[in-house]
Amino acid sequence: MSTLLSAGALLGPAIEELTAQLREVTVRVHTRGRRGEGVGSGVLWTRHGIVVTNAHVARASAATLELWNGERIDAELVARDASRDLAALRIDSRDLPHASIGDARALRVGEIVVAVGHPLGLRGAVSTGIVHAAPHDAPVIRSDVKLAPGNSGGPLATTSGEVIGVNAMIVNGLGVAIASHVVEDFLRRDVFDTLGRGQRGKRVA
Amino acid sequence: MSTTKIGGATLRALSDELAAAVDRASRSLVAIHARPRIAASGVYWRDGIVVAANHTLRKDADIALTMPDGSRGRANVVGRDGGTDLAVLRVESGSSAVVPEFAPDDDLRVGHLMLAVGRPGDEGVTASLGVVSAVGGAWRTWSGGDVDRFVRLDLSIYDGFSGGPLVDASGRVAGINCSALARGLPLAIPSSTVNRVVDALLTRGHVPRGFLGVAMQPVRLPPAMTQRLGLESADAVMITMVDGDSPAERAGLLLGDVVVAIEGNAINEPEDVTAYLGADRVGTTIQLTVVRGGAKMNVSVVVGERQRRKGGEG
Repeated sequence: MSTLLSAGALLGPAIEELTAQLREVTVRVHTRGRRGEGVGSGVLWTRHGIVVTNAHVARASAATLELWNGERIDAELVARDASRDLAALRIDSRDLPHASIGDARALRVGEIVVAVGHPLGLRGAVSTGIVHAAPHDAPVIRSDVKLAPGNSGGPLATTSGEVIGVNAMIVNGLGVAIASHVVEDFLRRDVFDTLGRGQRGKRVA
Repeated sequence: MSTTKIGGATLRALSDELAAAVDRASRSLVAIHARPRIAASGVYWRDGIVVAANHTLRKDADIALTMPDGSRGRANVVGRDGGTDLAVLRVESGSSAVVPEFAPDDDLRVGHLMLAVGRPGDEGVTASLGVVSAVGGAWRTWSGGDVDRFVRLDLSIYDGFSGGPLVDASGRVAGINCSALARGLPLAIPSSTVNRVVDALLTRGHVPRGFLGVAMQPVRLPPAMTQRLGLESADAVMITMVDGDSPAERAGLLLGDVVVAIEGNAINEPEDVTAYLGADRVGTTIQLTVVRGGAKMNVSVVVGERQRRKGGEG
């Protein structure tokens, strides 16, 4: 490989590759129920078919997910925590790709982050930015990525492709994502423990 | 290695570099608690000296600082320059910070990646990334400050960012960010200008400005007169007031004199006159060409120094 390639010429393909990886683990979420209609994105979080999205996206007990390859799958809501704006959906576990999860607490201010989602109906759109404020133990990551409605529930990832947050809202022009350690805690308490108790032999944690 | 792999490594290297740049800049970055609600940023510009944005300081003495290591410090205002929206504080107590490495002004080029870094409180530093969107020549702010270069930024300046450093990708400081000089648009005051203002504030407590002691208004000369006097433009400036015991009165300027040129350069509006009254003109003699009684004449004026308003800004 030529060493003459400039950084500028290399960065484009790198972001393209990163986007392709993230699209594989990002789904479009559509729910309809008593609480109204919800549309957004979701992350294939575990290899057991758990999809994480925002509580404000998952408004009903059932959802339709659309994978990047266009396939549609039915999913059921297994947990919803409006205070943390998180929800977990379950699909029949098959050989689906799942995200590689990073630790948001290790993020440094200035690090490049990438968001993938379906903003304003645009499928698989990517936006990049930097970490604006390091979360350390804070529950959210603030970054200067441009988000729009429809990004909600989608992944925020590092340049290594590790998902470190779930995009949730825009505050003062800054993208706000629920940090991965908060998501892990939510899954541990509200999903895996519950499933483990309720459905013996089908523990997924 | 494939292009993609090298690309991925390059992207991760850039990400690491930006995080390292923020970390480096943060060692020179303090939070300044001198207004209600949100704190503002300041740069430990020289030993014991912090530069801040003037509009973020609502008091002059006993100002609390958050030092880079998170501890508290105390500072007093040494001087303010409303013109460039800069202020200088002397750190009276507190742990020390690091004087940053400065990027040469010539390094500021359109398209360069830049970080704006702030410390808007005790919760650590915040940053945003963008590019230099425009670089121009010397300009004068709406409040009369002389800035060596016009530097427009395509990045977001959030609450508490004013007074923080503009940082290049290697963590060197290129200037001070400010949102108060161009209707909230992010601009940076380049380091050379900051240094000039800091020098003036440390030695005199203010940035001197030239002073004539006149009030002016734009006027249009009749076409016949414009032609007869050989003037390129009919637009000129009439003197509508002459202060007692002022440089203008000592030079013999009269109410009603119409200024058409200074040092041979056409004067078409009052701003053209104030452009001649920078700090470097104080004490020098300038030649005004005025129209009095229908005839052109030259008047030499020794530029004075504008007196500061009591308790006000320079």
